[in-house]
Amino acid sequence: MPTLRDLFQPPFVGFAQPLEDLRDEFDRLWSSLAEPHAIPGRPFHRPDAAAPAVNVSESDDAVTIEAELPGLAAGDVEISVSGEELTLKGSRPVSPGGEQPSGDGEEAGVTWHRRERGTGPFERRIMLPVAVDASRVEARLADGVLTVTCPKAPQCQPHKVTVRSA
Amino acid sequence: MVTTTTTAREQATEQPASPAREGQTFHPAVDVCDRGAEVTIVADVPGARADGIDVSFDDGVLTVHATVPPRSLPGRPLAREYGIGDFRRAFRLGEGFDAAQITAECRAGVLTVHVPRLAAVRPRKIEVRG
Repeated sequence: MPTLRDLFQPPFVGFAQPLEDLRDEFDRLWSSLAEPHAIPGRPFHRPDAAAPAVNVSESDDAVTIEAELPGLAAGDVEISVSGEELTLKGSRPVSPGGEQPSGDGEEAGVTWHRRERGTGPFERRIMLPVAVDASRVEARLADGVLTVTCPKAPQCQPHKVTVRSA
Repeated sequence: MVTTTTTAREQATEQPASPAREGQTFHPAVDVCDRGAEVTIVADVPGARADGIDVSFDDGVLTVHATVPPRSLPGRPLAREYGIGDFRRAFRLGEGFDAAQITAECRAGVLTVHVPRLAAVRPRKIEVRG
């Protein structure tokens, strides 16, 4: 049974291409609306914010920062801490599948239908709520999730104060 | 399945999610590339591992679902720019694909799915005789 898609096959495809694109656009909009909590494109493709997105939490003895860096190896990311500022810097290499998302000119015989995953350098500076002990900061990257644990500087940790009776 | 409708902005400022609300599903960012002999789909699924990924192909639609084990940071949250949950996305690829030859791998939170076309429908160069 012929579907709407069949109408966009050759020889109609020439003038129907813009309609194809429009339909793809609607598919994408619709699927992002229809699926609950769908957030299309994350960390590396957030035009309105500094990439990548981070979650930060604070406990009594440390500040923990987490970022999603899929496809990165430990050597692709650089973390530096100075006083109350943590800098997350790095570069995302081209995807392991071997595709080259080149901006100009396509490989022969290759068509990109979606190219939502960005590549290239990124940098993010995060202001920490307290001073941390830079020499004891630890970072771990597993399954594309980076977790940085920054122990607070000793003077910033809560101190129990003993009350002496007069 | 509980479906609460919160916008992306609300999600960024909401209170720490109680366990009951943590079952959210997200749209992974993808690159979809058609190389003629196969279609390659690369999806960002940080936090997911190979054993938590489900790839199925039915009636021309490829569906990927990555289960992300819940994780939380110690202490009280100061900033929450992204939520943590499963990833799910479906792609209408159409006919002419060899479902039995689909392969997928997941490394460092990136899922790559190779969907080869059936040999008979692969684009062939047709020689024009003069």
